Amino acid sequence: MESLASLLHLMPETFWMLVKVFIVFLGPLTLAALLTWAERRGSAMIQDRIGPNRALLFGRWRLLGLPQLAADGIKFFLKEDLVPTDSSAMLFWLAPILAFVPAMMGFAVIPFGRSFSQGGHQYHLSLLDPGNGMGMLYPLAIGAVAVYGILTAAWSSNNKWSILGGMRSAAQMVSYEIAMGLAVVAIFMRTGGYDPQQIIEAQRGLWNVLPQAVGFLVFFVCMFAETNRLPFDFAEGESEIVAGFHTEYGSMKFALLQLSEYVHIVTASALIVTLFFGGWRIPFVAEPPVLLSVAAFAVKLVFFCWVFIWVRWTIPRFRFDQLMFLGWKVMLPLSLGNLLLQAWLMHGGA
Amino acid sequence: MAVLVKKVELNWLDRTYVWPVLMGMIITMRHFLKQISTRSSRRFTIPYPDRKRATAPGYRGLHELKRFQDGSIKCVACFMCAEACPARCITIESEEFGDINKTQGFQEKRPAVFKIDMLRCIYCAMCEEACPKDAIWLRTDYEQASYDRLSMQYGKWDLMNTYADKDGKALLTQDPTPTVPRPPVNT
Repeated sequence: MESLASLLHLMPETFWMLVKVFIVFLGPLTLAALLTWAERRGSAMIQDRIGPNRALLFGRWRLLGLPQLAADGIKFFLKEDLVPTDSSAMLFWLAPILAFVPAMMGFAVIPFGRSFSQGGHQYHLSLLDPGNGMGMLYPLAIGAVAVYGILTAAWSSNNKWSILGGMRSAAQMVSYEIAMGLAVVAIFMRTGGYDPQQIIEAQRGLWNVLPQAVGFLVFFVCMFAETNRLPFDFAEGESEIVAGFHTEYGSMKFALLQLSEYVHIVTASALIVTLFFGGWRIPFVAEPPVLLSVAAFAVKLVFFCWVFIWVRWTIPRFRFDQLMFLGWKVMLPLSLGNLLLQAWLMHGGA
Repeated sequence: MAVLVKKVELNWLDRTYVWPVLMGMIITMRHFLKQISTRSSRRFTIPYPDRKRATAPGYRGLHELKRFQDGSIKCVACFMCAEACPARCITIESEEFGDINKTQGFQEKRPAVFKIDMLRCIYCAMCEEACPKDAIWLRTDYEQASYDRLSMQYGKWDLMNTYADKDGKALLTQDPTPTVPRPPVNT
């Protein structure tokens, strides 16, 4: 590590920071790109279809349809960048960025591997070192900001379908955020702190998913609402409001909106893994080697990403009032009850 | 009219919604695993231009005007197919021909023009049914796209050659009408 840093004339800390930035930005982006492929091929397999397999790399290699990613990318870049005349041009431009940046930012505090020390330095495998004072509050705050991207996109395109989609997305966010927050608070209470490092440390031996089964259920369902995925993809709702908030979007801006949804899935999966599935921990291994811990985290992450896709192609979309019912009358009481139960258990259980 | 309202009573397990969702996910996963472990040649989807579906024996595809072994057209220009055609897509102009007239002592006809408008044709095979000489039939070919409307007007030589490649026959550009009478067909 230090020899590499000295080769580049950098302080080891600076070098390590650069490496982490590289990983944290390119990792979720690559995974998101692969998820679009997994979504299309996976959904095809679930529905007994084949999926995109016609794009060939250099006109020769099919590679299970992976060249489709490159083909789509090239297509999006070369398409005309259309801005509707009646839209608010600046917000219309800003919206994809507003949607994309929070999606990328959420990953910053997630530890994706075990911390290790080398040559007197302590290296942490998360972009923000533990003890930064924000902890798990940071991804939750960022997650709440994400809806502004959708709302801006919807409002600025000056299209009734878009506005309906944006409004629905905002209402959905309001009704699920509280239940989600309370589910996370129960975790904080169990851990005694809200730093992801501490939360993972507290899951030594027993992952939170077992003692916090109700909390996990609530959080998991809320993550679907958070990422605007089926069964809660009310921001889009193709069968009802055309394409919802991105009806007016095309070319690269559309690609960015779409990509931010997938990055959201990656971040949501990372949150689920960190909060409920022991982060980088491996069952029955007390202190796994660093690389193995990263691999364990990646495996869990990819599994939950797949669950997001899997659920999407299993469950149809809810009706909007059903969503509201579920959010306010089921999720919120469940989450509150879980919180009270945890408080009671903390108090001594009698 | 009375409207029947069927109310489904869900038990508590179904009302939690978690259990049915898990069951549904098992179903989709089963489909996923089955499809992903099936060889591409055994899947329901036929990857069309690479692999083509074998047509059934009774398939009604592109027409062929049949010929005798020496290559002359079987059609006698009786207009039965044109009359039978519900889409009115067959145009025939007849002509008298050949030395058979002299040798056999009666007039024989053949189509000077035999045109099928493939854009109008509905591939019902009524012409095949109507033909007294079994001179026209519909066969397996179903790939007839073209870039302009004119090339969808199939003429006599087009129709005689539609399956020449497939059957290994020579492509015809003129009618090899026999100048001597044909030997009688053994029945």
